[in-house]
Amino acid sequence: MSALIELAGITKVLKGQEQPRTILDGVGLTLEAGQSLAIVGRSGSGKSTLLSVIGLFDRADSGSYQLEGQEIGRLPERRAARLRSSHFGFVFQRFFLLKHLTAAQNVAMALVNGQGWLPRRQRRNRVMSALEEVGIAHLAKSRPAKMSGGEQQRVAIARALVRDPKILLADEPTGALDIETGTLVIDALLAATRRGCGLILVTHDRDHAARMGRIHDLVDGVLTERAGVR
Amino acid sequence: MRRFSGRFRSSLIIGLQGIRARKLRTLLSMISLFLGVLAVVVVQAGASIAERALLADLELTAGYDGTRVMDMPPQQEAADIVTSTVAGRSDAVAMVAVSGIIGEPGVQPVNPGGSPIDEDWGPPMQCDQNGCVPLGGPKGEAVEVRLTALTGDIRQFRPFHQVSGQWLNFTTVPAMAPRLVLNREAAKAFDRHKVPAEMRVGGAANNVTPQFTGVVDDGDSQPRVYVRMDELATWLPTSKLADPNTNSELRMMMVQGSPVEQVVVSKLKALGNEPYVYTVETRKEQQKTLNLMQLVFFAMAGLVLLIGVAGILNVGLATVGERVEEFALRRAVGTPRFLLAGIVLVETLLTGLFTAAAAIGVGVAGLRVVSMMVGNSEPILQDVQFPWEAGVAGIIAGLVAGVLGGFIPALRAAGIPIATVMRA
Repeated sequence: MSALIELAGITKVLKGQEQPRTILDGVGLTLEAGQSLAIVGRSGSGKSTLLSVIGLFDRADSGSYQLEGQEIGRLPERRAARLRSSHFGFVFQRFFLLKHLTAAQNVAMALVNGQGWLPRRQRRNRVMSALEEVGIAHLAKSRPAKMSGGEQQRVAIARALVRDPKILLADEPTGALDIETGTLVIDALLAATRRGCGLILVTHDRDHAARMGRIHDLVDGVLTERAGVR
Repeated sequence: MRRFSGRFRSSLIIGLQGIRARKLRTLLSMISLFLGVLAVVVVQAGASIAERALLADLELTAGYDGTRVMDMPPQQEAADIVTSTVAGRSDAVAMVAVSGIIGEPGVQPVNPGGSPIDEDWGPPMQCDQNGCVPLGGPKGEAVEVRLTALTGDIRQFRPFHQVSGQWLNFTTVPAMAPRLVLNREAAKAFDRHKVPAEMRVGGAANNVTPQFTGVVDDGDSQPRVYVRMDELATWLPTSKLADPNTNSELRMMMVQGSPVEQVVVSKLKALGNEPYVYTVETRKEQQKTLNLMQLVFFAMAGLVLLIGVAGILNVGLATVGERVEEFALRRAVGTPRFLLAGIVLVETLLTGLFTAAAAIGVGVAGLRVVSMMVGNSEPILQDVQFPWEAGVAGIIAGLVAGVLGGFIPALRAAGIPIATVMRA
């Protein structure tokens, strides 16, 4: 059985400067369904760029990127958008909730994206179950301004989960939260892995990284797996 | 198809959410666009009303478009042929017009020559080899009219407006005292001059006593009265009506394809009389003038609309600039680029449509107010209806402005790099 995602020899060079700068240098990575993985590294080490490549926001200059055994590194934008919708869920450091929408509408944003159409009732059911999954169904009609940081991030996680993604990509999701709230957010992300969802967490926080199945260090664009982690 | 429907609904939902979230911006866009769309609505409404008024006036005098008209020299035999051929038919009407004087006998009419009542065409002249001299005789209480004898209801070809009383009834037994329907100018003349009910017509054995039954608006500036041919024929044979030595007229109006035309033309040709036959094409003849007029006004309205488009474009660009993160996030959750462009276009299109609705509403209300205020002095504006063409023009203007104003912001939105959310 093929891995959920498999990266090999991924290289990304930042051009447009006096001297091209290698951001990712031959990165290799494998993630199975239900696995969790942390990527740690200093600021500017290329963590977010790697996540961009994995999430199909950006393309690698070279290397192979396979999703469920299919090469997807050179997909046209239209197909990449379809895959982002069907396979990936994203959680960012800043929650990126639209302030004019309620929590439920923010979650529904991932369903009203032009990739298939769900009738209103089905949409509402899926939104409510996603909100329940992260424990904030009671805030469905609240707007972001009336919610705490932790609640907002859980709305963002519900938005990432509402399409039942196969892979969750979280880019420093606890960066703007206190320790206790951050722990709750990591709990919510790990809960998704128990349903078979793969999780890649980019973080600075050693404690949160330690809760993942594997830890990878990214130093100057080179990714190495840390030994001795469960 | 299903996918398209889903995308369309998605962009509609997101577009409406965007409008709701930015009510003030939408209002500002609408204000900047409003005058432009209103200008288009007003120009189209004005052009349509003017066109209808112009065509209505021309239809009154020339007839409906498509009507076949046959003019022929007023020979006595021709009059007999025409009246006998069309008798009892509904697809053709013959008319013979002669000069008639209603009022005191033995006097000159107040409007010699049948001139409009407020115009003086001078005294009638008698001409011979030595030249022309004015006819003598005192002026008295008499009005000269064009007496038009009809074989049937002419209103199927010329849409006379009934002003008062009743139009001629062609289904009853002919009356001994000919029933006359006056046009407005004749009614004005008889309103000013109280004349005896005695009518003189050249060639008639006796003066007759007519009865007035109604007044119509026929668009003619000369005093004219209409009478049933058979009622007049009681006193004056049809052949006597058409006299080449007087200024009588002989005309036939008919529907296109009527067999009467061929028959009458053949009979007249046998007599050596060449009729002039043509089709009324008022709209076609006026179209060039109307188009030019419309083009000039639309160019001006287009300019105002362009300023409105610049406004909506400006607001649209500013809004996209503010929503960079939103659009990048939408792309991150799988929204295709063209759907983002669609969202922006839907917002500007809806703004354009709302503006069009407002402009049309103001146009309808404005026309009602104008109609109430000046309708009495300007008959064109009396009970005038808002032309549907103006509504359509307003909606098209709103949509075009929405597309033009939203196109560049839509391209910008579609081009926002998705990695924006990662670097924020």
